[in-house]
Amino acid sequence: MLETNVPAHPSRMGGAARGEIALALGMLCLSSVVLWQTLEIPVSPIYARVGPTIIPMITACGLGALSLLLLVSAVRGGWQTDEEKEYTPDRVALSWLVVGMLANILLIEPAGFTVASVIMFTLAARAFGSLRIARDAAIGFAFSLSAYIGFARALGINIGAGPLERGLESLFKLI
Amino acid sequence: MDSLQHLASGFAVALTPINLMWCLIGCTLGTAIGVLPGLGPALTIALLLPITFKVEPTAAFILFAGIYYGAMYGGSTTSILLNTPGESATIVTALEGNKMARGGRAGAALATSAIGSFVAGTIGTLGIAFVAPVVVDIALKFGPADYFSLMILAFVTVSAVLGSSAVRGLSALFFGIWLGLIGVDLQTGQARFTFGLQELLDGVNVIVVAVGLFAVGETLYMASRRLSGGDEIIPLRGSLWMTKEEWSRSWKPWLRGTALGFPIGAMPAGGAEIPTFLSYFIEKKFSKKPEEFGHGAIEGVAGPEAANNASAAGVLVPMLTLGLPTSATAAIMLSAFQSYGINPGPMLLTTQPQLVWGLIASLLIGNVMLLALNLPMIAIWVKMLQIPAPILYAGILVFATIGTYGISQSPIDLILLYLIGAVGYLMRRYDFPTAPVIIGMILGPLAEQNFRQAMTISAGDWTVFFTRPLSASILLLAFIAVAGPKLYELAKARKSDPALAKS
Amino acid sequence: MITKRDLLAGAAAVGAAASFGFQGAQAQTVDLLKIFVPAAPGGGWDQTARMIENAMRGAKLIGGAQITNVPGAGGAVGLPQFINQWKGQGNSLMVAGMVMVGSLIANKSALSLAQVTPIARLTGEFQAIVVPADSPFKTIKDFADALKADPTKVPVAGGSAGGSDHILLGMIAKAVGVPAPKVSYVAFSGGGPATAALLGSQVAAGISGYGEFGEQIKAGKLRALAISADKRQTGIDVPTLKESGIDVELFNWRGVFAPPGVSDEQRKAMTDIVQKMAASTEWADICKKQDWTQITLVGDDYAKYIASETTRIGAILKDLGLA
Repeated sequence: MLETNVPAHPSRMGGAARGEIALALGMLCLSSVVLWQTLEIPVSPIYARVGPTIIPMITACGLGALSLLLLVSAVRGGWQTDEEKEYTPDRVALSWLVVGMLANILLIEPAGFTVASVIMFTLAARAFGSLRIARDAAIGFAFSLSAYIGFARALGINIGAGPLERGLESLFKLI
Repeated sequence: MDSLQHLASGFAVALTPINLMWCLIGCTLGTAIGVLPGLGPALTIALLLPITFKVEPTAAFILFAGIYYGAMYGGSTTSILLNTPGESATIVTALEGNKMARGGRAGAALATSAIGSFVAGTIGTLGIAFVAPVVVDIALKFGPADYFSLMILAFVTVSAVLGSSAVRGLSALFFGIWLGLIGVDLQTGQARFTFGLQELLDGVNVIVVAVGLFAVGETLYMASRRLSGGDEIIPLRGSLWMTKEEWSRSWKPWLRGTALGFPIGAMPAGGAEIPTFLSYFIEKKFSKKPEEFGHGAIEGVAGPEAANNASAAGVLVPMLTLGLPTSATAAIMLSAFQSYGINPGPMLLTTQPQLVWGLIASLLIGNVMLLALNLPMIAIWVKMLQIPAPILYAGILVFATIGTYGISQSPIDLILLYLIGAVGYLMRRYDFPTAPVIIGMILGPLAEQNFRQAMTISAGDWTVFFTRPLSASILLLAFIAVAGPKLYELAKARKSDPALAKS
Repeated sequence: MITKRDLLAGAAAVGAAASFGFQGAQAQTVDLLKIFVPAAPGGGWDQTARMIENAMRGAKLIGGAQITNVPGAGGAVGLPQFINQWKGQGNSLMVAGMVMVGSLIANKSALSLAQVTPIARLTGEFQAIVVPADSPFKTIKDFADALKADPTKVPVAGGSAGGSDHILLGMIAKAVGVPAPKVSYVAFSGGGPATAALLGSQVAAGISGYGEFGEQIKAGKLRALAISADKRQTGIDVPTLKESGIDVELFNWRGVFAPPGVSDEQRKAMTDIVQKMAASTEWADICKKQDWTQITLVGDDYAKYIASETTRIGAILKDLGLA
């Protein structure tokens, strides 16, 4: 986006800080979305001295002004601490986690809470460097199934039943 | 005194073996649901309402009282250990509590929170017994204009959590205010920032945001820095219990927190979060070691924890004296009264003295029980920090999901949780404080609604905030809190050597 | 009295249903009734669902019940789920009511209650207009006069904008000739906070379900000016709006619906069970304790009622600028 030339330091461009600039621009985008959505709020003719758009408008302007201040500070070299600046995040670990969360979102309705949780648990443990997949899956299974049963039995809340949970339920009934 | 006699008869009701058993069940269950983010006492009591068909009223209310207080104890445990607040009133506890836990003082943090909760809960319950009618009279004097000023005062507390840069801190605050505005506007019924999603019409749950920012964000951050190992958790440093210094640093915050929590809890629109914010702010100001704030200051756990328990007692004041439910839990407890054919109202105390005083007595007993349950548990809880990182963080992630998905069963909430987690990660990496997001999210909409209610009532007269004595005095307090220290310094500087050589 | 024969019959029915699955219209009792509540536990619909379960169990009409809560936006979040995922399930019921009609209109939902199968209207709660004990308004006429003189000087407290309290105020305003949007309505997050504002004399008047104010009225802390019921209620010495010359009647009704796509037999069987429950002493007892007025209405009459309510509420929400 802003990569005009390859800087000497991966996260530096002259005096400006790339990460911070992206962040400030992101916030600027957010503030314009907030502004746009504020203008979309329908104002009914109901009698109210202060309408539903005033505080959102102040919020949009506040966010916009602050993001400009952040942008200035980013262009001047950013504010990230030296320690964070030096550190390159472990992209592999983050990817494992993101995959785990995505899997959870996609699976929780069709496959049920337990299965989705076990998969996320195992992937998250992998993100933190665990290679004992079977052990992690077993711990995750025990943890999430007991949570499921706890909710279902003690409070009567169903926290997402899938084929596994329904199978267990009917097994309980037969016994 | 009359109240003492009633209280004694209340103990006679509560101290039967069967009622003690109900109290114990309630305390245990309450602690358990308090631990789970998202699952609060209101929902639990609602789900247990059918029990009112099977047991007699006193027993049911003793059970509910145990759940109610227990949830407040349980909520702080996960805040401290896992940075995953179980209740919105324990979000502030996570700020210092989790830092203490990481530095090896989990035991002390849990102890000061349990004992502080006990002290506040006991004083608060005695407050219900002896000063409730007076407190409720004052509480009803608060109108929307006064509440608005109270919110302004509470906003001042943001300054205590802004971190190293005002611009970044305020950015976080405004982000939080925006999150709080999402949903249908109470005053005009218009949808705001819902992007056409029906799921967003009721707004974003503050617990989802807190758990996302703190727990999920933390998990992502730790994973990204797994190889550096710089920020490792120290399970235990020094004694498991509180040291003498920690005791002496805790007792004043307990009392101050109680003094804030009880009256604000008793106000119909006071709530449990605002006193925790105010308490945190005051403790930071009063602390002899303000530099420790942000790195695990015990006052920052002791004060807010006392404040949230005292406010839990305060909420019962309008409920028992006027039959007014001012929180979700109180509303559900009142509907339990109804299923017994008891109509809760201003006459409750005269028509059902046995029930009310039995309830008050069991709250006192429940507090003792909770302390007895929670203190020995600390040794076990602290062991949780020894769980290897992969299992611990994977567990936190699943745990966060249970709370979020379990209640709403909406994947939208899960997506929101993880997105907020990603925001939390970025905020951590780029040195933004996360606490202002929560403060903005809770206070922003409250301030807005009260402001607009006040303006509608006054038919658009702005001066109402300054002409109402309560509102004006709170605004003055807010002004002193902001400008006071600076004015004080200015005055001191003028008095002392004008050269100011030693600064 | 429960006789041994009843018990045996019940056990046989439960056993049969368990081994062959749900038999639809053939069985007089339902083994497992599934109740869908498009609101959080603890609210009015949830309590209705839990009380239905209790009354039906008490009257031996069902073996048990399973309640599912899908909260959000006055039912607008739950309804699509009930329509899509519960389609054709003859053993299930959804609890809903007037609030959902309003919410669907105000939230511009593409769905309506016409898309589910009406079973029965069960209860209703009429509303009350109250003032603090020291208020200058002695009758509803005083209130109406003040409203006509300058609506901005009469702030009225109630629940969220567009809800039943706001709707009633809009109807009253219209009936006395004040443009509905001109009325100064102060929305509070529930009956409790609204009552607190009234007790502290922060507002001129308040509107909510009568039950919310009942005890305060008895204790003399609030004064009821009028109720929105169709006729005088026994034990309540308050005139109706109609007899005070304001032609407005409003019930915050609650009823049950079956999902779309159920067979006529299933619909009839479910209507039978609900009707039996509504006639049971258990149900009468519950309604008495909860202060619910029984206004049972079944079949096509119920369907017609819903249609007319939708038109009526849609019109008033339009007047208020909310639809």
